[in-house]
Formats: sequence, C-alpha cells, structure tokens
Amino acid sequence: MDWLQRIFNFRIVGQYWEVFAQGIFNTIWISAICLVLSLTFGIFVALARRSSNPFLWRPVAGYIQAIRSTPLLIQIYLIYYGLPAILPFGNFLDETQTGIIALTIHTTPYMGEIIRSGLESIDRGQVEGALSVGMTPRQTMTNVVLPQAVANVVPPLLGQTAVLIKDTSLLSIIAVFELMGAGLRMFSETVIATESYVTTAVCYLAIYAMMLVLSGMVQRKLGGSAWQQN
Amino acid sequence: MRTFTKLAVATVSGAWLALAATASFAETTMEKIVRTGQMTIAVQTQGPPVSFIDKDGKRTGLAIELAQLMADDMEVELVIQDYDWKGLIPALLSGKADFIAADMTPTAKRSMQVVFTEPVFFSETIAFAMKDSGYTSWQDLNVAGVSVGATQASSWADITRKKIPNAELKEFAGGTAQTVQALVSGRINAGVSDRGTIAGFMSSIDGLVMLDGTISSEPLGFAVRPDSLHLLAALNNYMGLIRSDGRLEEKLDYWWNSTNWEADHK
Repeated sequence: MDWLQRIFNFRIVGQYWEVFAQGIFNTIWISAICLVLSLTFGIFVALARRSSNPFLWRPVAGYIQAIRSTPLLIQIYLIYYGLPAILPFGNFLDETQTGIIALTIHTTPYMGEIIRSGLESIDRGQVEGALSVGMTPRQTMTNVVLPQAVANVVPPLLGQTAVLIKDTSLLSIIAVFELMGAGLRMFSETVIATESYVTTAVCYLAIYAMMLVLSGMVQRKLGGSAWQQN
Repeated sequence: MRTFTKLAVATVSGAWLALAATASFAETTMEKIVRTGQMTIAVQTQGPPVSFIDKDGKRTGLAIELAQLMADDMEVELVIQDYDWKGLIPALLSGKADFIAADMTPTAKRSMQVVFTEPVFFSETIAFAMKDSGYTSWQDLNVAGVSVGATQASSWADITRKKIPNAELKEFAGGTAQTVQALVSGRINAGVSDRGTIAGFMSSIDGLVMLDGTISSEPLGFAVRPDSLHLLAALNNYMGLIRSDGRLEEKLDYWWNSTNWEADHK
C-alpha cells in the first residue's frame, strides 16, 4: 500500500473524514429538500404552463424564461441580500433556509419543463380511456397521467437532480457549509490539491450513485411491471 | 545522398532535443530565471493593499512592488500571473510560477508542501463591525447569539473558531469583500480580517469601524517549491538586504502601516 500512499495520501484525507462527513450530510439533506420542493412545484408549473388560460400560462412561462436566462450565482445573491431589503422578515431566514429557497426557485422551472414533456408523452387514448370508465379529470391526472409521465421522464429528472446536487456548492458564497466547503477547508489547511479535490469529487460521485439506485426504484414503483424489464 | 542528409539532420536534432530536455530537467528555478531572463510570480488579486488593480488598471500592491524591486535589481523581467487563492499553490507546484508573492500564512501543515521564506511582514487579525453596533473590542463578540463572518477556509476563520468560540461563525466564499457586504446588509454582526485590508474598506464604506485589540499576529511570507533552494536563499537574502538599506521599511510604511497609497492608486 506504500506506493498508493505516495500517489494519494489516505493518511491526510483520513484526518478530515469528519469534515467531509459533515459536508456530505449537509449536501444530501439540502439537495433532498430542494428536490422534493422543486418536483412538487414543478408539477404545478407544468400543469399551469399547459393551461389554456393566458393569465395562468403567461406568467409561468415568464418565470421559466427569467430563471433559465439568469445565472444561479446572481439569483442566490439577489435572494440573500435582496430579500431582507424587500421583506421586513427577510432577515429571519438563516443562510441555509435562504439557500434552499434560492435553489428551489432555480430548479423548479427545469423540473417543470421536464415534467411537461412527460405529460405530453402520454397518449391521448389513456386520458380518454380513463374518462370513459368514469374517472373525474382530477382522478385521471393523479392516477393515470402523472405516474406514467413521471416514470417516463425519470432519466432527465435524474440528470437535473445531479445538477441540483452540484449546484448546492454555490451556496458557499452565502456561508452555507457543504461538501465543496469541506474540500476547500482541507485544501486551505493542507494545500494538497489532488487529495482535497479528488476526495470531494469522489464524494459527489457517491451521492450520485446513491441517487441512481433510488431513481431505479422510483421508476419501477411508478411505472409498474412495464418498466421491470428495462 | 538526400536521404542521408535527412537522416543526419533528424539524428542531430533528435539528440539536441534530448540533451535540451535533460538540461531543463536538471535546471534549478534560479538557473531557469538566469537563462530566460524572466521571473514568474503567482499573485492573488484579492484587493488592496497586498495585490490589486489600481485606478489606472495597473496591477500593483505591496507584494507586487517587492517582487518588482527584486526583479529590477536582478535585471530580469517580472511576469505576473494572477490566480484565485485556490490556484496559487497548484500553480507553484506544477512549475507555472517560480514563487508565490501573496500574503500566505506559513502554517506547519502548509510547510509540508511548500517552503516559505522568512517573514516579510506581519499582519494583524482584527474584528470589524458597524459603528452603531455597540461592540468596542473583539472580546465583546465572544457571546452566544452573535454572528461573525470571515472568508471561507481562511486563517481568519480558523482564528475566529479558536478565539471567539461562543459566537456563530459564518464562512463566506470569496474574500473579505463578501464579508464586508454581509456586514453592511445586516446579515452578520461583525467580521474578522486583517488590519490592512479593513483600512482599505473603511475609506469607502461609511460607519465601518475596527474593534479594539488584535486577535492575533501572523507572519506573512512568500513561498517556493521545495527544490528551489537557491531561489529561497536569494529571496531571504534580498529581503535582508532591503530591510537594512531601508527600502522594505519604505514600502511597508507606504502600503501596510498607513493608507498613503490611497492618494496615488485609489
């Protein structure tokens, strides 16, 4: 193992395991909350965007374009420093809460657009069939269309979730400690670039691998036996 | 005949290349500076007074001027490469720069990777707050419920953790500018940085004050690769030289111990 120690110093990385564990923990729970929130809001954004009421779909389309056309870094800045100026209670939200709000606002349009493409992929016959057996339009949406639509778009949603997980690293500009912060802390103290950054990258990879397994389970659950073969 | 000439040219140039490669492999950093007539330094444009871009768009500051002084006396060209803090040491270790001219604290752990020169100057870590905050000294901050900001993963954050343990530390990525902005917009109660940097901010931001007392004093030096022993000795020697002939004092008085530089560069 001596030769390996020379290429990659596990001894020094080991000294920082607690810092990295804290970073991974924070990255996972912040991403998880943002994922749940942005998927929930994303469904509403997708439905509103498909609505024929211009008072509904026009503002939503504007929101989607505004978020997609501006950098996340600026959105985080504006929300962190701008919110207290607009709202009297803006300062009551701490850094992590502000970060979760900013990331959710940023990720929702992307999730919404993916879900919309999923909704549009469902054959019209499915809706007609559901309605003809006596389901209400709401039952049709929640029991027939949405589960299949989400199962269809799990791969792109997984991709967007990976982006979300990596985006949490930008929260360090507003003093949120996460995985990237752990890597930077190790680098600042030890100044060994390879070990600090490779360890950080491997941790992100591990989180992504976990997501991959979870998304497979979600797809099988939502899609039913038709997806089992895939 | 033609083939023979080609072959001869190829052999000779091949051998010459191989020779040049071994020569440069064995070359010390100082020999490289002598051969090329260029001394390359890695700097961090983090803000006045150590290294920054002045009102004329010129790169200047204490670290830059000290390196320039040495390059002028050596009669070589000074090449300045600007890196983010995170990029300084990788740039040095990969040979992109001959030494780092930045205000880097020579900690024991960092010394395991690079070699620091003798301290060139000393920085004082201080706390700062808004005038109406009611704090007078940095010890006042050491109570629960107070939030103190510092640059992420900096020695200031480290000192805050150790000396102001009861306050909540918030680490902002970027630099002191981010900490000052967080203070001005009411996101933190106080911040920790060094005296020279905050002196620079005080002239442009109303109501920013330094709290009484020095939290710690840190020596700051330049850094070289572990094998650049000749350059290390030359740097130490040069700093000793300008310390005795008064030029170091002059630069320190201008940049570090006063705000005289503001008249010319701000």
